[in-house]
Amino acid sequence: MIQKILIVDDSPVARKMLKASIPKDKEYEIYEACNGKEGIEKFKEVSPDITFMDLTMPVLDGYKAIPELRKINPHAIVIVCSADVQPKSIAEVFSLGALTVLKKPAKTESVQNVMDQANGKLKNLREQNESKQ
Amino acid sequence: MENLKISENKMNLNNELLSEDQKDILQEIMNIAFGNATADLADVIDIYVELSVPAIELINTGELSGYIDRSLNSYTNAFIISQKFLGDFNGHGLFVFPNGAGHDLVAIIEDTVTKDLNSSPAASLEKEIIMEIGNILIGACVGKISELLNTAVIYSPPKAIIGKSTEFDSFIDSFVPLQTVIAMKTVFKFLQKDINGFIVVLTDQESIKWLKTALDKFMESYQ
Ligand SMILES: [Mg+2]
Repeated sequence: MIQKILIVDDSPVARKMLKASIPKDKEYEIYEACNGKEGIEKFKEVSPDITFMDLTMPVLDGYKAIPELRKINPHAIVIVCSADVQPKSIAEVFSLGALTVLKKPAKTESVQNVMDQANGKLKNLREQNESKQ
Repeated sequence: MENLKISENKMNLNNELLSEDQKDILQEIMNIAFGNATADLADVIDIYVELSVPAIELINTGELSGYIDRSLNSYTNAFIISQKFLGDFNGHGLFVFPNGAGHDLVAIIEDTVTKDLNSSPAASLEKEIIMEIGNILIGACVGKISELLNTAVIYSPPKAIIGKSTEFDSFIDSFVPLQTVIAMKTVFKFLQKDINGFIVVLTDQESIKWLKTALDKFMESYQ
């Protein structure tokens, strides 16, 4: 189950909006980073269960940060949360291995849905690991 | 010393008109709005727009011409599509890119434009296509800002302003002198042809009071 959440977005307002949309069913540990580079550092430091990733950011954007996260952990669950919802952008982030894309401003309902989806994925991963051992 | 005084005054004025928090909210709203606008554009034209982080600036109407020049960087001549909008939220949407780049823009979308446009002579075809793209982007962007801030605006028809012409002068003159406007700017790139341009939403001074309240209200729902 999701415990640790990392939010990578350059906008403090966007981070606040997303945090407010995370379901209150349990207490999550929420970490924040304000660009892709900081996001990668935070990711290494806290190993989040899921990462919400913005695309348009200074220093290092989401398109460049996602492959780095997946290099660190090939099973990293990345949910893109962006205002850039052009079909080409969406196709691109899926090809980089994002689980799904949330269009800004994200509604509580859709955040809940993607978190359910992520929980399913985490469960599968755990079962795969257990059967290997 | 004198300069320092001026910039201090300017800073005080800026803080008074819009707090740092309100600027952050406006920046994210512009980000969402223009992102949505490019997706709307992609629905009608096969075009991909690379986005950047929006910049929010408070500028004096007297500095407007210089602001546009500064934003254009090395380009000497601007092609501007201007569209006025009215409501609680009052101002202008500007779609700006270097004059001459319109030709490249037309090349990108040649396949998707309608037949009757194709029968027009080249120069007017270019203008019509740019007007249409500008109209879509400004309308979708301003429309989304209004939606997020819980209001609605009406638009006047788009106008094309080419270069430092009399149209440009009368556009600048249409602003009440010595007023402060909020400029929300997003730089973008039409990737296929490497064309840089930008969109600016200028909020008239008379709307700033309304805008401040609307921004605070917007954020309240996320507390
Ligand atoms: Mg961003």
